[in-house]
Amino acid sequence: MNKRTLATLALLPIATAAAIWTAPAKAEDVTIGAIEILTGPNSRYGVAIKNGFDLALDEVNKTGVLGGKKLVIQYEDTAGNKDQAVNAARKLIGIGKVPLLLGPTLSNEMFAAGPVANEQKIPIVGTSTTAAGITAIGPYVFRTSLPEGDVIPVTLKAAQTKFGIKKVAVMYANDDAFSKSGYDVFKASLEKLGIQTLTTETFGSKDSDFSAQLTKIKSLNPDAIVVSALVEPASGILLDARSIGLDEKIRFIGGNGFNSPKLGDIAGEAADGTLVGSPWFIAKADAMNTKFVADYRAKYKDDPDQFSAQAYDTLHIVALAIDKAGAAEPEKIKAALQTTKYTGVMGPFSFTDNRDPADSSGVVVLEMKGGKFQILK
Amino acid sequence: MFDSFFFSYQSLIFAVGINGLLALSMYTVLAVGQLSLGQAAFMGIGAYVSTLLTLDAHWPFAAVLLAAMVVPALAALLIGGPTLKLTGVYLALATIALGEILRIFCNASDLTGGALGLSGIPNKTSFGLIFAVLALALAGFVMVARSRLGRAMEAMREDEVAAGVMGVNLPVMKLGALVVSAMLAGLAGALNAHANSFIGPNDYGFDQAVTILSFALLGGIGSPFGPVLGAVILTVLPELLTALHDFKLVVNGFIIVIAVLFMPRGLLIWRIGRVG
Repeated sequence: MNKRTLATLALLPIATAAAIWTAPAKAEDVTIGAIEILTGPNSRYGVAIKNGFDLALDEVNKTGVLGGKKLVIQYEDTAGNKDQAVNAARKLIGIGKVPLLLGPTLSNEMFAAGPVANEQKIPIVGTSTTAAGITAIGPYVFRTSLPEGDVIPVTLKAAQTKFGIKKVAVMYANDDAFSKSGYDVFKASLEKLGIQTLTTETFGSKDSDFSAQLTKIKSLNPDAIVVSALVEPASGILLDARSIGLDEKIRFIGGNGFNSPKLGDIAGEAADGTLVGSPWFIAKADAMNTKFVADYRAKYKDDPDQFSAQAYDTLHIVALAIDKAGAAEPEKIKAALQTTKYTGVMGPFSFTDNRDPADSSGVVVLEMKGGKFQILK
Repeated sequence: MFDSFFFSYQSLIFAVGINGLLALSMYTVLAVGQLSLGQAAFMGIGAYVSTLLTLDAHWPFAAVLLAAMVVPALAALLIGGPTLKLTGVYLALATIALGEILRIFCNASDLTGGALGLSGIPNKTSFGLIFAVLALALAGFVMVARSRLGRAMEAMREDEVAAGVMGVNLPVMKLGALVVSAMLAGLAGALNAHANSFIGPNDYGFDQAVTILSFALLGGIGSPFGPVLGAVILTVLPELLTALHDFKLVVNGFIIVIAVLFMPRGLLIWRIGRVG
């Protein structure tokens, strides 16, 4: 390798950096920022969200915002890293001068990037951040995703009334923020509903053998097993439960981690009877949802998931708020968001005074049958 | 224009300084010929201790920083005795275990917020503070490198047995290096925690340990400036490459492979001149 090639290699990053600096944004467009995981192992979440945004953006730009101006989304990738989420927020605010931020994808990233936006008084709207305490970051932090605190009680209530569940065993991954946060909600709602907890077992989110915990649970003979975990360990638990011969009448009740088609793909028939709550379901029959699903399939040749649905609704909500604000100014958009009402694919939507979703009537409880989720009847 | 540039890249600029300190922490142990992968754990101890003192005990920031150096130093003294009898990969393995223990403890303990970590940390770190600390540390290392102590360290690195025969007190030197490196890592952890708003147990795991090691290896350990240069490059490079999207990691890795292939002793191979 000669000197010139080395020099060219060295120039490459500088050239790309220059390309970002000079990226043109037309003055008459309204540019907002979005911080999502677009590369790396968790990119399927971020890409689903981006697809949802882009689909809604096409619809919004048929008429435009603020009297015909084009709405543009400037994306920044975090690769699932919270430091990069902070960098992205700072770049979009400092250089992009955006009046509004969407994202980031994970609750962890929001805990890091949210305070930056809040301090600069730029509203930031999470579409997939379900952990407790997100909107407590500050008055400029919103979210459109139902926190687990709204979904899990609905699931447990349905299990209690339909199947008469009185005593349960609880399992959760204690080394993962998402699972721990879901467990905290399960614990509180179980107490509230007066369901007895026989035992609480923990595991690591990368574990693959759960037979020790399940054998102990089997001996206690619970009515159901409540699990807060991501989809990979969740599937492992379901498979292990069948292999140690746990009674098939004992239902599994999952948190949002179970709410993935992958559960049926990995666990197959072992997953049958599993209950999970979801803010959205692909087979919801209303006209808006069927149109969304059809458009999404036409554009991306793939099925939408809850993340795309949440993102799709969020962009419509945000576009309405910008229109209502009358100007692309952070303070006005913040005030407008607070009073925006919208009915989308997830059901009726408005923000509470604490900037969380006000309405959880769109939550559906799903039951796994033959490796596929169906609405529990 | 400058303000918006500084605002936009503030956390990157902070990360350069903090990673520079971490690289120096790694350099301290590598300079006496030890391969320790406990730097991330010491950083984590510093971060958690400082955050808890700020959030729960409301200590002044200067005292918090001091504690973030003293507690990891004590931890280093405690584990230094048994582990420094090990050499080479065995020491590396033992110190990896230290990081794992810390991670499991932080996940299990309510005090540290479990897997949810600790959030809402006030931002008290400033640009001046980070780079003043880095400059001080660098100046200290240059002075040490030019002294008797520095020559003893270099002798140990090249041949431990020969250095011992020449009268270098090996156990004291090794333990001293580990304690100093723990203090630097703890300080970096505290500065980092107070520059971001959130810390979690998975920030200080094996990945972070290897990242810190790679700063030192890319830069070269001939002088303290090498690791700092390595840290600057490895911190800034991914940001410069963001426009490449999916190819970012490929190009990033490629540049590092090229550097290691053509400059196996690191990018900076000159040494500090000696006096006396």
